[in-house]
Amino acid sequence: MQYFLNGLPIGAIYALVALSYSLIYAASGVLNWSQGDMVMLGAYLGFTLFQLLNLGFTPALFISMAFVACVGVLVQYFILRPLRERKAPPINVVIATLGVAIITRNIALVIWGPDAQIFSSPVSAKPITLGALSITPQDILIVTVGIGLMLVLQYFLKKTREGKALRAVAQDRYGAILMGIDTQRSDGVAFAASAALGAAAGILVAPIFFVTFNMGAGIGLKGFVAAVIGGLGYIPGAIAGGFFLGIVEAIAGGKISSGYRDAITFALLILVLWLKPSGLFLRKTRQKV
Amino acid sequence: MFRYHKKIAVILMLALLLGSMLGTVGCGQKSVQKVLKIGVVGPESGGGAQLGQGQRKAIQMAVDEINANKGAGEWKLEVFFEDDEGNPTKSASATNKLLQQSQANVIIGAIHSSATLADMVVTSRAGIPQITAGSTGASITEQNNKWIFRTAVNDEFQANALVKYAKEVLGIKKMATFTAADDYGQSGAKLLAAAAQKYGVELVATPTYNNGDKDFKPQLLTIKEKGAQGIFMWGLYTEAALIAKQAQQLDVKAQLFGASGMAALKLIELGGDAVQGLILTQTFLPDSTDEKVKEFVQKYKSKYNENPIPHAAQAYDTVYIIAEAVKKANSNKPDALRDALTKTAGLKLVTGEPKFNEKGDDIGKRLLITTIKGDKFELVKAVMTNE
Amino acid sequence: MKGITKWRTYGILGVLLLLLFLVPQVVSNIYYLHIINLGGIYTLITIGLNLLSGYTGQVSMGQAGYFAVGTYVSSLLMMNLKFPFWAALLVAVVAAAICGLIIGIPAMKLSGPYLVLATVGFGEIVRLVLLNWTPVTKGAAGLTGIPLPEFMGMRISSEKDFFYLIFIVLLLGTYVAQRLAKSKIGRTFTAIREDELAAEAMGVPVNLYKISAFVISAVYAGVAGALFGSFAGVASPDNFTFDESVAFLSMSVIGGNRSIVGAVIGAFVLTFLSEALRVFQALRLVIYGGILIFTVIYMPKGLYGLVEQGQNWFSRQFLAGKKDYSS
Repeated sequence: MQYFLNGLPIGAIYALVALSYSLIYAASGVLNWSQGDMVMLGAYLGFTLFQLLNLGFTPALFISMAFVACVGVLVQYFILRPLRERKAPPINVVIATLGVAIITRNIALVIWGPDAQIFSSPVSAKPITLGALSITPQDILIVTVGIGLMLVLQYFLKKTREGKALRAVAQDRYGAILMGIDTQRSDGVAFAASAALGAAAGILVAPIFFVTFNMGAGIGLKGFVAAVIGGLGYIPGAIAGGFFLGIVEAIAGGKISSGYRDAITFALLILVLWLKPSGLFLRKTRQKV
Repeated sequence: MFRYHKKIAVILMLALLLGSMLGTVGCGQKSVQKVLKIGVVGPESGGGAQLGQGQRKAIQMAVDEINANKGAGEWKLEVFFEDDEGNPTKSASATNKLLQQSQANVIIGAIHSSATLADMVVTSRAGIPQITAGSTGASITEQNNKWIFRTAVNDEFQANALVKYAKEVLGIKKMATFTAADDYGQSGAKLLAAAAQKYGVELVATPTYNNGDKDFKPQLLTIKEKGAQGIFMWGLYTEAALIAKQAQQLDVKAQLFGASGMAALKLIELGGDAVQGLILTQTFLPDSTDEKVKEFVQKYKSKYNENPIPHAAQAYDTVYIIAEAVKKANSNKPDALRDALTKTAGLKLVTGEPKFNEKGDDIGKRLLITTIKGDKFELVKAVMTNE
Repeated sequence: MKGITKWRTYGILGVLLLLLFLVPQVVSNIYYLHIINLGGIYTLITIGLNLLSGYTGQVSMGQAGYFAVGTYVSSLLMMNLKFPFWAALLVAVVAAAICGLIIGIPAMKLSGPYLVLATVGFGEIVRLVLLNWTPVTKGAAGLTGIPLPEFMGMRISSEKDFFYLIFIVLLLGTYVAQRLAKSKIGRTFTAIREDELAAEAMGVPVNLYKISAFVISAVYAGVAGALFGSFAGVASPDNFTFDESVAFLSMSVIGGNRSIVGAVIGAFVLTFLSEALRVFQALRLVIYGGILIFTVIYMPKGLYGLVEQGQNWFSRQFLAGKKDYSS
């Protein structure tokens, strides 16, 4: 049970990152490898605003989400758009976004230096114990803000004009073009929303993990795994995949072998892909967003 | 538009390639002055960048000082830095570059043990002395390689000192190791297990973690269940601070121990009250009252506006050892330099009085058993590594 | 037309290789030779990757895994069981091929991001096993003192010796790959890439071909791995990280993944580039990333696309309109 509880906050983080992968994949059909580094960027901006400039936690969260969203739009405009115009194969997109990841990471290294930075938790660090179980307020914060953001995203996709356009493009890109939807714009929106989700994940995770320039690689990969387990492009699947992965990791690490933990995760993943190539939580009819 | 970009790209790439290949060819100017070239390899980007950059800063400082004070006699030190990203293949290439392009007479590096081992293949083939100021992995000085020296403190000594202290002073009977799954952590785990046997402490759990891991609660829960009274960590400070924090959250009551790899003020900053009372061995204490240490810390702080990490102190000393060797040998020939290095003696440096044994390990280091109190390390006991 | 292209390709290849054989005579700098040798080893991996991803359309981001299997199997056989180099290489290749088979079977059902992730997972599993299976692999410390290859009493020890060994293997590997690519198998690979369903409808055993492509790419990486072990003298899991797999994929795409020559270009250019950029110190990787992005956007067919364009231009000028896009 404690393992289960420990898996929740990290699961929420994975879910947010998985969402950001899924959203971009659903909306524009590309795999964006720079998502993990958007998490890192969000964490550093949050650190700068909250820790160095002493802004409150909430403004820091929103400002850095907005800023990283702008970075997402820039990536879409300067990298994805020209690739699309040239009808470059998907693999070129993968390499280009890996390039973005390398650049972001190393610019962060130059700006913020190689040392891990501390991000003090906005809430008390004292664990709350319930019988044999314990959980920290920061963990509760992660899970609640994480779920809150997922609800906001759902509202955005279902109720707003931009969100509806995005869903239309996700379902049928060419149909959407015929309907007069600006796909360029919806790509931009998807990249912005994904980057913002990543940034939020970064700030939420910063107090428990610290902030380092290479934190993005690990979180990004795990988020991608979670997205694929849930069925890439399927929003509820990404959330379920995130929590599932968080809990599986906590149990595998505690009960089987910590050194082989990630190997177990990946072996499980390959098995899932073999048996159910479209993810655990995606029903047969491919439903996007 | 399309073609224009393409042309630029091609020209750019060719220019970069040719420029850097040709540019370095014409650098072999001979000067009348006696110059000793030091090549430095270390991770300046990638994981472990803080160690590589700390090493670089300290070495640059030492070289500047020695050149200003004529610390190497008539010899002027010239230093070249290459980044290896902590990757052994890149490290070997970087070492090759330092030897061939920069014509380095001696190599300082690397930090990751796997990178140092890869570099040793290059330096031993070329017959150039190499001193590692950062790699503590036991296997480095077990290669029968006469060109390798180490100014980082041997892990074996640290493990013994820690376990002995835990048993004899704190009365710990059951211990667990919790180590990084890298060369550093694994050799630490092995040495700790040997030490546990030597001093009669029961080893109840030996979990590991991968570098970059963020969640250590599963392993900590296992340790808690097994009833260990002491947890011996062997890894870097980022993970150690997280482990301490999560141990506190899980209400793990065991005493925490650590080794020099995590000994940095950053550990205290990151760990907060979770690391209070943590006991660890290190070779360098920034708050020490030792004159040499005080002077070094002051200089480093005023130059870089930050506290030096222990790796920096070791790298700093390494340059002084090299300066002394070249002065004594009065030659930059590899054999003469190596011989002079093996005879290093009588130096009083920041981390001790260096002296190499036949394997190349520095046995003249001061080892400090320290504990964290408030925002600094406090000395508990100092031991010399030559026992 | 076909014949001209064929001879042209072989001609270019021949001249290139002749030049390469002269390289160690001209290049006396060991550092350059070291980088060239490394480039040669990476080229082998990239060739395999091009057959897999460029020809068959199956992207792999786990080539470092096969590379690692090749290195560890051959090195351990030479160290512990005193195998001669060639025998160790053969066993290593078989081991890598088996890994290719193991991952090829689940991979045949996958495509796009799913396939990418499955291969990433494979690469990571191999690395983690090497890291944690300490009694055999020596864990993170890795293998040290890997023996040098010996052939009939001749010991390959200097960078120059390695240059010849690596480039003989590379020449062979390039030739086989080129033949394979132009053969029925190569054309079937391309057919699968272009339209899997159509190929299947035509009676092509698609799954068999897809798995074979995996095995072939694993074989190339396995050979490269066996060479690398002896070349580097040491090997540790740090040599075979995810970043390495990414680098191999970048080589394949930057060079142009739909031709064998592209692999040669990509591997060498990126290997040299990452060394050449050292002059920029801290900004090195930022520039490297920028070049990757720039190339994939503005040269979607990779650097080989430029070669093709140059060839076409040449044809237009001198051979009056004999165009050939078959490669």
